[in-house]
Amino acid sequence: MRYMNKKEFLQLVKEKILVLDGAFGTELTKRGMPAGVCPEQWVLEHPMAIVELQREYQKAGSAAVYTCTFGANRLKLGEYGLQDRVVDMNRRLAELSRQALGPAGLVIGDLSSTGRFVQPFGDLPFEEAVEVFKEQVRGLLAGGVDLFVIETMMDIQEARAALLAVKESCDLPVIVTMTFNEDGRTLTGTDPVTALITLQSLGADAVGCNCSTGPEKMAEFIAAMKPYAKVPLVAKPNAGLPRLVDGKTVFDLPPEEFGRYVRPLIEQGVGIIGGCCGTSPVYIQTIVQNIRGMRPPVIGGPEIGALTSARKTVFLGFDQPLTIVGERINPTGKKQLQAELREGRFSEVRRFAVEQAEQGAAVLDVNVGMPGIDEQATMVKAVELLSQLVEAPLCIDSSTPEVIEAALRIYPGRALLNSISAERHKLERLLPVAARYGAMFILLPLSDAGVPATAEERCRLVGEVFARAQAFGYQKWDIIVDGLVMTVSADQKAAMETLKVIEWCSRELGCGTIIGLSNVSFGLPERSWINGAFLAMAVDRGLTMAIANPAGEMIMDLKAALDVLTQKDPNSQGYIHRFSQVKEERANQEKAAPGKTVEQRIYDAVLKGDREIIRDLLETALQEGAEAGAIVDEVLIPAINEVGRRFDRKEYYLPQLIQSAETMKSAFTFLEPKLVNANNGGGKDKARVKVVLATVKGDIHDIGKNIVALMLRNYNFEVHDLGKDVPAQDIIDKAKETGAQIIGLSALMTTTMAEMKEVIRQAKAEGLDCKFMIGGAVVNQQYAEEIGADGYAPDAYGAVKLAKRLAGQAAE
Amino acid sequence: MNDKGQIQFLTHIPAVPPRAMILARLGYRKHATVFDLDQRQKLDKGIREGLLLCETRGAFGRFKVVERNETEVCLAPDVTFTSRSLARLLSYSDEVILMAATVGPAIVERIAQEVTHGDAALGVILDAVASETADAGLDWLMDFINKMLRKEGKKLTEQRFSPGYGDLPLANQRLIYDLLKLERLGLKLTEKCMLIPEKSVLAIAGVEGVEIYE
Repeated sequence: MRYMNKKEFLQLVKEKILVLDGAFGTELTKRGMPAGVCPEQWVLEHPMAIVELQREYQKAGSAAVYTCTFGANRLKLGEYGLQDRVVDMNRRLAELSRQALGPAGLVIGDLSSTGRFVQPFGDLPFEEAVEVFKEQVRGLLAGGVDLFVIETMMDIQEARAALLAVKESCDLPVIVTMTFNEDGRTLTGTDPVTALITLQSLGADAVGCNCSTGPEKMAEFIAAMKPYAKVPLVAKPNAGLPRLVDGKTVFDLPPEEFGRYVRPLIEQGVGIIGGCCGTSPVYIQTIVQNIRGMRPPVIGGPEIGALTSARKTVFLGFDQPLTIVGERINPTGKKQLQAELREGRFSEVRRFAVEQAEQGAAVLDVNVGMPGIDEQATMVKAVELLSQLVEAPLCIDSSTPEVIEAALRIYPGRALLNSISAERHKLERLLPVAARYGAMFILLPLSDAGVPATAEERCRLVGEVFARAQAFGYQKWDIIVDGLVMTVSADQKAAMETLKVIEWCSRELGCGTIIGLSNVSFGLPERSWINGAFLAMAVDRGLTMAIANPAGEMIMDLKAALDVLTQKDPNSQGYIHRFSQVKEERANQEKAAPGKTVEQRIYDAVLKGDREIIRDLLETALQEGAEAGAIVDEVLIPAINEVGRRFDRKEYYLPQLIQSAETMKSAFTFLEPKLVNANNGGGKDKARVKVVLATVKGDIHDIGKNIVALMLRNYNFEVHDLGKDVPAQDIIDKAKETGAQIIGLSALMTTTMAEMKEVIRQAKAEGLDCKFMIGGAVVNQQYAEEIGADGYAPDAYGAVKLAKRLAGQAAE
Repeated sequence: MNDKGQIQFLTHIPAVPPRAMILARLGYRKHATVFDLDQRQKLDKGIREGLLLCETRGAFGRFKVVERNETEVCLAPDVTFTSRSLARLLSYSDEVILMAATVGPAIVERIAQEVTHGDAALGVILDAVASETADAGLDWLMDFINKMLRKEGKKLTEQRFSPGYGDLPLANQRLIYDLLKLERLGLKLTEKCMLIPEKSVLAIAGVEGVEIYE
């Protein structure tokens, strides 16, 4: 048994292009494996099948082969009742590969998907996924594998779980290959660059893609990754795209055509190559022939600063636009957010996240620290939610190391840690944590002695922490230095000290910097001027990031301008886009309408559904001597009738109709006492038509019925709404009790519409003298006639018209 | 995804409904309906708020068709869908995908609150957003499953079928609910086979081979 260490692996792929194997499934089928069996079990029962196949691959030129353990994890084996044999099967399968290759070949322990989706995207708990992979790793290590591969991963979070499982079990090199679809994303939406940055930061020794597409498309994914790759790149394409022929999956790219794409793949940056579905030893021979004389690509490139979410990469650098980190997900000073977090609710967190992303924050700071909650559990829930809700990468902000570690562990991307200072206990505790999960971090230049007053002392602390971080593999662009913004209202010299730190970091050390912008103006009036001026000065010194509220238009406008002036907004596209969104005039807004009488303005208010002004207008009209009854008859009713006509002509849509009806209701409510007192007509002297409304028994849908109730009330019907799931007898009893002239029945589903018929039958049997109207998604006029109803209304306004007709009221 | 009864539960589906569908559900007609700026802002705010309230989740499972004739599709001895239209849709399918999407309870509660005691116009906008997001959830699931199937040279039928439509009675929701173990998704099924929260949708689609020209 021998293991390969990471250094040896790197040396190997620097010296030559590493050729892997091809497909197993199709080849084992050719060797007699029947459909529907557990491949790993079948191979153990027919060991020579895999030994011969792997020898053929070796003979064809594969320097390394994967163990036949693609599905040998507890969850997949469980489908065959083999979940308790994971370690033993993996060990034996690894030993078979060693037997096939002998001491010269490399045996790569193969891990792949569990077939379940991992939280936060799916329901498999992250730690359970890690444990599933660790169990498999134990077996493969016992079987003597040289290194590991995590392959055909469709979800970055599952790939992370497997990678952590290997890293936490041994120190062997690990290759990770993801499967990208034709659209250039994994099944769960990760693009190649984002996958690369996430995985290489987390400790993968080589990253790439396998399966799904043919070699031509895969070359595009590799080309996208190469500029950012610190590790060797891997390609293991299918023999073209699959299709189904006579019930069997076939691939249509023959070996010679497959071979034509090998050289371009190497030229794009691939240093480790093999074949996936549909390939065979012949394809591997083709690879070997095509790479003859080629050197492996150079590994590594320029330093980059980059944060990722599961679906997006945000690059940081002197050549990148100023990055705004949204600061609003922080309970300090936010009572509603505090209350929600205490109750375990996250609607404010959702709102802040979506709004900030829309307003231009490229990264979101997440801080849930407050008394009275379990900060760790709350942070984990918030990170799970946000990692799916928004594309912006997260900045994990907490003063508690355990909270930070829990968040970094489950975050499906490369996060920014806020923050690590030179305080001894924090440095010692947090640096290894940040490194373990590959996070970037904000370096806070303060020590156990407090915040240094001078820039020189802060810069010294930056150097000290950076030196410690380098021991964990950190490079300059993996850290972001906080300039430590102090308020100028307390000390006007403070701003200049911060600017000196930014300048030194940018021009001497060569790393990114960040400021908590609004601190500078604390205690001063009209703070945005100070904030804006300070931001411009800081950007001039090389500032790359600012923690701010992106809802502040001035700051975001200034950022757009600064990006142009510092040549970080090519062709001023961002700036032009921001300011080309012409703010439309509120031309139709009629706060004051000179030249119109108050009656005309009341009419318009109903038409526009302007509830806010209707009472004031009515008051004015009454003060000017108008009679309440006349206002109703001559203004309000004609107005609401016009609304109905516009709705019928589709000039109004439903919310407009409802808004107008609500305005009408406000007007009636206001005028009603005056109408009663004056007994002066206006329709109010007439008895109102009574309607009993109900959603029938068994049916729980009542939104449509509620809108009908609202509309009928607004048209001056007396509505008795019994709610939903109402038994027939209750409806009949209510109609009797109130003397209702109309019963309105609603049902949305085919399973409940029959209950309408029962209500009508029963009511008629009891001699109830009233009209029946029905509505709902699955009924129509024909059904109304069939069950003895007096009419069917297709929508809320239709219900009003029908009720008027049934009550014998004049049509409009 | 397999045929061994394994159900996939997805705790967040990034479903975004087409704006045009939300508007159409609200009765908006492109060349007829007239908005002023206030109306548009109210609509935009309502849609944004609705999307924030939707917590779209889903589940799906893959099942073998064990028997099929012109009117029935049988997945197991006690699981038979009786529908001529469905049987026709699944003519070339030896397997089916059963799927479910829900937008969760929060938006349903808010709609009820707005329609009965708040801003009813906002309530109907939220209602349209919720309905369309649930449908968009199924659209997203179909796209997602298609990408998985593509690796096998397979795809879903272009159409999906939901209980309650055509000749597939709503009572079939019970079969899908049980097979997908939808209580794990937080759904309930009433005696009359209605889903709670009500903005939840179930569907069946067939698995077919990819043709050579596709």
